[in-house]
Formats: sequence, C-alpha cells, structure tokens
Amino acid sequence: MKNLLALLFIIALAALLLYVAANMPPMGDPDNPTATHVIPRYLEGAEKETHTENVITGIILNYRGYDTMGEVTVIFSALAAVLAVLGRERRGRIHAYVDRSTVPSSVIVRTMVRFLVPLIVLFSVYTILHGEISPGGGFQGGAIIGGSMIVFTTIFGLYESSRRIPQKVRFPLEGSAVVTFFLVGVLGMVGGGNFLTYAWPRVAAGLQPALVTWLTVLVEIGIGLGGAMVLTSILFCMIREEEEIAVVA
Amino acid sequence: MAKDIVAGVLCCVGTFFFLLGTTGLLRMPDIFTRLHPSTKCDTLGACSIIIGLAVYSGWSWEMPKLVVIACFLLLSSATCGHAIGRSALRRDIGYWRRKGTEVEDGDGA
Repeated sequence: MKNLLALLFIIALAALLLYVAANMPPMGDPDNPTATHVIPRYLEGAEKETHTENVITGIILNYRGYDTMGEVTVIFSALAAVLAVLGRERRGRIHAYVDRSTVPSSVIVRTMVRFLVPLIVLFSVYTILHGEISPGGGFQGGAIIGGSMIVFTTIFGLYESSRRIPQKVRFPLEGSAVVTFFLVGVLGMVGGGNFLTYAWPRVAAGLQPALVTWLTVLVEIGIGLGGAMVLTSILFCMIREEEEIAVVA
Repeated sequence: MAKDIVAGVLCCVGTFFFLLGTTGLLRMPDIFTRLHPSTKCDTLGACSIIIGLAVYSGWSWEMPKLVVIACFLLLSSATCGHAIGRSALRRDIGYWRRKGTEVEDGDGA
C-alpha cells in the first residue's frame, strides 16, 4: 500500500515535471527571456561600464556585487559555524608529529610536495591577479591555495603546516574578503555613488577607468586571501590527529 | 603544413595511449597490473597531446605554458603512481595469480 502510494506520487510528480518541461522555451532560442533582458546589456556594456576586460568578472564583482558579497559572507559564516562546533586547532609547542598512517609517506612524495606546493601557490596568485582580464579570480585562487594546503597537511601533518600559516596570521585575514568588499562599497558611497559602485563620480571624474580597475583587483585580492585562509582554517579545525594528544600529554 | 601533420600525429599517438590505458585499467585483474597501464595515460598520452598542441601553437606564449604543464604532469603523475603502488604493496594487497597456480603466502606479496 505504502509502495503503491509512493509510486503514484512519483508518477504524478513526473507528469507535472514533464508538463512543465514541455512548456519551457526552446534551448538556444534568441527570443528566450534569458537572452532578451539583462544579458545583452551585460555583454555589450560590461567593458565600458565596469572597465574590466573579463565580462564575467564585471558581472560578478560589479553588476552583481551584492550577490557576491553575500557569497563571501556565506563562506565566512561557514568558517564561523565550523569554529563554533569544532573550535580552533590546538597545536603544541613541541614537534610531536608521528606519522601513524598505515603507510608513512615516502621521500619521493615528500620531496615532490615540497617542490610543488610553492608553485601551486604561485599559480593561485596568478589566478587571483589575472582574474580581472582572464578566467579565474579570487574564489578560484583561494580554492587553489586551500587545495595546496590540503596536500601539504596530508603529507607533513598539522604541526608543520600550521607553522607555515600560524593562527595569528590567519585570524585577521579570514575576514578580509568581507572587509575588503565592504570597504570598497563604502568608498563608493563616500565618492558620491551608491554602495558598491566602484566609480567615484564626485572625487575622481578623470581617473575613473583606472580607479574601477584597481578597486576590482583589490576586491579580487581580498576574496582570494580570505577564501584561502577560511579554507585553511576549516581544514586545520577538522584535523584531529594523534599529535594533539601526544603534545598535550 | 608540416607543423599540422606533426601535431596531428602526436595527438593521435596520445589518444591511442589513452585508449590503451583505459582498456588496460578495465581489463587488468589487480591493482599492480592496473597501475601499469593507467599511469601511461598521463605520461605518454597526455604528454603527447600537450606536446602536439605546443607544436601546433608554434612560437607563441602558449608554447612555454604547455611545456610547463607537460613537465608538471610528468612529475605529479609519476609521484601519484609511486604513492599508490607503494601504499598497495605495504598494505599487503595481494598479487593476482592465474587460477590453480597460487603459491603459499610467504613471498611478501
């Protein structure tokens, strides 16, 4: 009986979804609502209005700045939630890390990681700074740094990696994405525009293109740093290795 | 013209090795024999394709980037293969033997 009800419900839901899908506008039609409202404006006006060569960056950071600021806040609140549940990592003063995995990492892997991690971080800096003119940007660059920290921590343990990025460095930088975004937004208000308008109509009429570009780059750097530090902190919170117990003892 | 032919041949060689590697990954019986063809995908396959693309792009800024990507691919995939194989060996994951020829455990498998 229960199964029959479930089957009927699923069939009804499928019929409803198929009916709705049949009424959707055809894919790729130039008369679609997605192609007629804001997209043409974005594609045609982005370079002139946002002064960024990459339309996507222009949309994310400029046209939809509020949305992106919300996303940045979401990332920060994710960290806050993780910290509220797990607490900051506790790291002893003595190096007591013992590799207790079934197979300790070999010299080859350790050498490769030591060689590759700086290059990965370099690449993420490139991604962050180039986000304004090419695919990439703050979110991606931050994620790349976070990934490199995951690799490093897996191989060398929490002690070594939290020595490279200590808590007192991470602590102020974790909020840098939200703070940079907010500061740039307020600067737009001070300059006579609205919140999160990059151009300062009252202050710098002649400088506007350069100003907008540099503020966009600044926001990218803030997002990248903040994202990287948030990911690293979440990673460190989640690692409860034996080393912590070993150090406390 | 010659450039296009060389690039095309290199890309075909790369695709061929990817096909071989995937077939081997699916057909081989245990982890060690599977590791053998699947590492060829990254080293021979992807590197041939990337070198083919580098030849195709000629003397431009794309070429050094592609060469660098190929170098990193070689380094990291070789390291990965080493780590997987070593881990499997240390965890005593046994070798595959043809049915009926199993030897008594004790050769460190």
